[in-house]
Amino acid sequence: MESIKEENIHHTALKLAEEIKNLSIYKSFYSDIQKLVSSPNVKKEDFKQTLQQAMKEKGLETKLRNTIYHLVRAQNKQTKLDPLTTLSKASAQWEKRIHKSLNSMCSDLETSLAKLRPQSEQEEIAEKWQELSTYNLDLSKYRPVYAPKDFLEVLLTLSGYVPFTKDDEPKWEFAHLPLQVKSLDQLRKVYPEWASGELLLGANPEATLSAERAALGARVAALRYAPLAQEFLKRGSPHCLRAQLWAHVLGVELSTQQIAYFNKLKKNVLEVDLMIDKLIFKDVQLTASNDDQYFVFEDLLYQVMLCFSRDGEVLQQLKGSVGNPLTVTIKGKQTSLDSITVFPPSGIIPFHGFTMYATPFCYLYDDPVQLYYTFRAFYVRYWHRLHYISTHPQGIVSLCLLYERLLEANEPLLWIHFRNININPIRVVFKWLMRAFSGHLPPDQLLFLWDAILGYDCLDILPLLAVAILSFRKENIFQVNTIQNVDAVLADLSTISVVPLLQLALMKP
Amino acid sequence: MNQDAKKLAASVYGRVNAPVVERCRLNFCTDLEKSVLMSNFERRGWHQVGPDDEWNFYWASTQTCRNLFSVESGYRMNDNQMINHFPNHYELSRKDLLVKNIKRYRKELEREGNPLAEKSEVVLHGGQVGTRYVHLDFVPITFVLPADYNMFVEEYRKSPQSTWIMKPCGKSQGTGIFLINKLSKLKKWSREAKAPFHPQLSKESYVISRYIDNPLLIGGKKFDLRLYVLITSFRPLKAYLFQLGFCRFCTVKYDTSVTELDNMYVHLTNVSVQKHGGDYNNIHGGKMSVQNLKLYLEGTRGKAVTDKLFAAMQWLIVHSLKAVSSVMANDRHCFECYGYDIIIDNQLKPWLVEVNASPSLTSTTVNDRILKYKLIDNILSVVLPPDGVPDVRWNKQPNPEALGNFDLLIDEELLEKDEPSSSIGKSIKNIKNRVT
Repeated sequence: MESIKEENIHHTALKLAEEIKNLSIYKSFYSDIQKLVSSPNVKKEDFKQTLQQAMKEKGLETKLRNTIYHLVRAQNKQTKLDPLTTLSKASAQWEKRIHKSLNSMCSDLETSLAKLRPQSEQEEIAEKWQELSTYNLDLSKYRPVYAPKDFLEVLLTLSGYVPFTKDDEPKWEFAHLPLQVKSLDQLRKVYPEWASGELLLGANPEATLSAERAALGARVAALRYAPLAQEFLKRGSPHCLRAQLWAHVLGVELSTQQIAYFNKLKKNVLEVDLMIDKLIFKDVQLTASNDDQYFVFEDLLYQVMLCFSRDGEVLQQLKGSVGNPLTVTIKGKQTSLDSITVFPPSGIIPFHGFTMYATPFCYLYDDPVQLYYTFRAFYVRYWHRLHYISTHPQGIVSLCLLYERLLEANEPLLWIHFRNININPIRVVFKWLMRAFSGHLPPDQLLFLWDAILGYDCLDILPLLAVAILSFRKENIFQVNTIQNVDAVLADLSTISVVPLLQLALMKP
Repeated sequence: MNQDAKKLAASVYGRVNAPVVERCRLNFCTDLEKSVLMSNFERRGWHQVGPDDEWNFYWASTQTCRNLFSVESGYRMNDNQMINHFPNHYELSRKDLLVKNIKRYRKELEREGNPLAEKSEVVLHGGQVGTRYVHLDFVPITFVLPADYNMFVEEYRKSPQSTWIMKPCGKSQGTGIFLINKLSKLKKWSREAKAPFHPQLSKESYVISRYIDNPLLIGGKKFDLRLYVLITSFRPLKAYLFQLGFCRFCTVKYDTSVTELDNMYVHLTNVSVQKHGGDYNNIHGGKMSVQNLKLYLEGTRGKAVTDKLFAAMQWLIVHSLKAVSSVMANDRHCFECYGYDIIIDNQLKPWLVEVNASPSLTSTTVNDRILKYKLIDNILSVVLPPDGVPDVRWNKQPNPEALGNFDLLIDEELLEKDEPSSSIGKSIKNIKNRVT
C-alpha cells in the first residue's frame, strides 16, 4: 500500500518535472540553480541537504512551489466540460453577429479593421502616450459593439429553448438549462470562514482586527507563497497589502522580460491602427472618464486597455474559451507574411463597460506595467467567463442560473413579486454580474469583494451578493411595479457594505 | 458609479432619504436661498422670516453678520438666537491676516519656550540653509505686498529658482492670481499696478507665497483638498472635522515649464477656474472624495505614511485655529463652518493654502449635492442643543449621535475636565504623538 502511494508520488513528480521543463521560466530557473550549486554554500558531501537549504535561502524554493501550484491549478481547471450543443451553437452565432457588426461599422465609417499608422500619427501617439486624453479623435460615430443588455438578450434566448414549458410558466427562466448549480447550503460549505461567523475585514471595524490582519498580512506578503496569500485573502486584505498579495496569488512577478513584452505591445499600438482602438477610447470615455471614482486614472487606463488588445498571450491562454477571432490583413504592410493579424491579437472584443474590469486596479498600482499584468491575470482567470457563453460552472450562464435559484429558494416573496409584475429578476442585476460589480460599488467595497473572489477562487459570490442586495432592499422593491422603478431602487449602491451583507446571507441558520 | 445609475439616483434619490426630525417651530432667516439650505430648513419644519422679524436662526452672508455686530446697528441678540459667522472671521479667512496670526502664534510659543516652537535647519531649493519650525511649518512662506517687500526680496534671493504665487488678499475663487519666477516680473507688475489707469489696483494688498511646485500628482494631475471644519467656540476651542471632504483636480496635466506658468488650468484647482476649461466634466466636476484619496494612498504608498498625512492635516487645522483663537470675538451666538484648502506635496506633507468663511453651497454634481446637504444637516444637528432650540446657555457638547459625519477634532473644555492641570499641553501632545 505504502509503496504504491510512494510510487504514485514519484510518478507525479516526474510528470511535473517534465512539464516544468517546457515552461518559459525553466531556463533562467535552471541557470539560477547551477549558479547556486557552484557556490560555497552547497557541499559535495551533503549535496541534497545543502542544496535544499541554499534554495530556501535564495527564495528559489518558494518560486518552485509557486510554479507547481499554478501548474496544478491550471490543470485542474482544464477538465473537459460536457458541452451543451445549444450553448456552443448560440455562442458561435453570437460571435458571428459581433464580427458582422464590426465589419459593417467599418464599412459605414469607411475605414478598415487594421492599417498601418502614418508616421506623423505614430509620433503623436508616442509623444502623448502619458496623456492620451489629449489625443484628439473624432469618436462621435463610434458606438460600443454591444452592451450588457444585448448580451442578456442572447442569454435569454438560450434558456427559452425547452419546448415543453406550460403556458402560464414564464419562459425566461434559466432553470430550464440542464446545468448544476449550488444551493445556499452548499455555498456555505464553499465559504466556511464566512458562514461560521469568523471576524472579517470590512465587516468588523475594530481596530484590533485591522492591526492583527495588517501584522499577519505583512508576514504572509513577505513569504511570497501563493497558496498562503490566497488563504489570507479569504478574510480580507488590508488596503495597503492588497497590491502585493493579489500579485502573489496570481503569480505576477515583474521581470525585465515582462517589461520588454509590455513595451512590445505598446510598439504594436503605435505602429498598427486597429479599429478596436477607437472602441477602446470610446469605452474609457463613456465609463471611467465620467466616473468620479476613476476619472483621475483615465490616462493610465488608455495605456493598459490599448496594450491589452495587442496581447497575443491572452488569446493563447484562453484558447477554446473565447471563440475564434477574425484574421485580417493590415493595410499598407509590405510583405504579405506579417501583414496578417488576428483581430484583435488578444481575441477579445470589448463591450460597453469592458474598461471597468481594469479600473479598480488603479487603486492598487501607480505603474502601468504592474497594473497591466495583475489586471491581465485577473481577466484570464475570471473576467472572460462573464462575457462569453459557456457551460463552465463559473461562466455567466451558470452564475445567472445560480442567482435565479438562490432568489427563488431564499426570497420566495420577492420571486413571486417579480413574477406578478412580470419582470425577469435577472434583468435588474445582470449588469452587476457582468461587470463583477465594478463601477457599481464604491472601490473600497469592491476590492473586498474581489479579495473574496481570489481567496476562494470562485465567482459564486457575485450572484450571492446580487441576491443579498435585493433582499436588503426588498421592502422598497415590493412597493414598485415597473422595471424603471426597480432599477431606481437599486441604482445607488454607495451605501452598501459588502462583507457584512454577504456574511449575513451565509450565516443564516 | 455607473453613469445611468447616477442619473437615476439623481432623479429619484437626489434628496438624501431622511425622516423628518425635530418638529419645533423655529424661525429662520437666510440671505442665501440655496437649495441645500432651504431643503434642510424645510425638513425640520422651520418657518422663514425676514431679517427684521424675530428669527432664531440666521444663515447670513459675512457682510450681514458684520453689520449686525457693528456698534452702529445696535442690534442685540437674545439667548435663543444663533448666527453662522463669527464677527471677525476674517482673522482666519483673509490670506494676509491668517499668515500674520500664525506668525504671531509661533513667536508667542517660541517666547514661552514651548517645545512646539522647535526649529531646525533645512536645505533650501537653492542649496542655502534656512531655519524652519519643525512642527508648525504648515503654511508656505508668505509676505504681504507691498508692506513686506524688502523681506520678500531677502527670502527670494535665498532660492532664486523658485516660483512664487501672488494672490489679492480680499478676493476668492482664484481671481487675480498669478505666478512669478523672476523678480523683474514682480517689479513690472508693481509699476503697472501703480499706473494711473489702474487706480483700483494700487489700493489692494497682495500676499506672495512660495509656490508648492512639487504637488502630489494623481494620474499626472494636480489637486487640492477641500475639508470642512465646524467651530462652535474659539475659547475654549471646540472644533469638528467633516469626514466627507473632496479633492479638486485640474483638468490639464501638471507641467512646471515656464511656458505653462501663465496657464491657470494647470496650476489652480478652483472649480470656478476649471469650469471654464474645455476639458471640464460636469458629471464628476473634477472632484474625488477624500475617502477614495485615502484608499488610493494606502493601496499605492502604504498605511503608515497615509495615516501620518491625515494626522498632519488635523494637526494643521487645530493649530491654525489656535493661532486665531485669542483674537477672535468669541460670541456665544455664533458658529462657523470653514472651508479649508490644503495642498499635499509629493513628500506627502500637507500645506494650508487658505481658509474660506463662506464655502460654496452651490452643487456642481449629484454627489456634491448629497455631500453639501449632509454637511448642512450635520452642522445644524451639532450646533443646536438636543431640544432643537438655540440657547446660548447650553454647554455646546453635542451627543455622539448628533455628530453625523463630523469627528470631534478638539474640545478644550472636555480636555480640561480630563486633566485639569495641563489641558492644552496634553491635547497638543496627543496630536503630536499621532503626527510623529
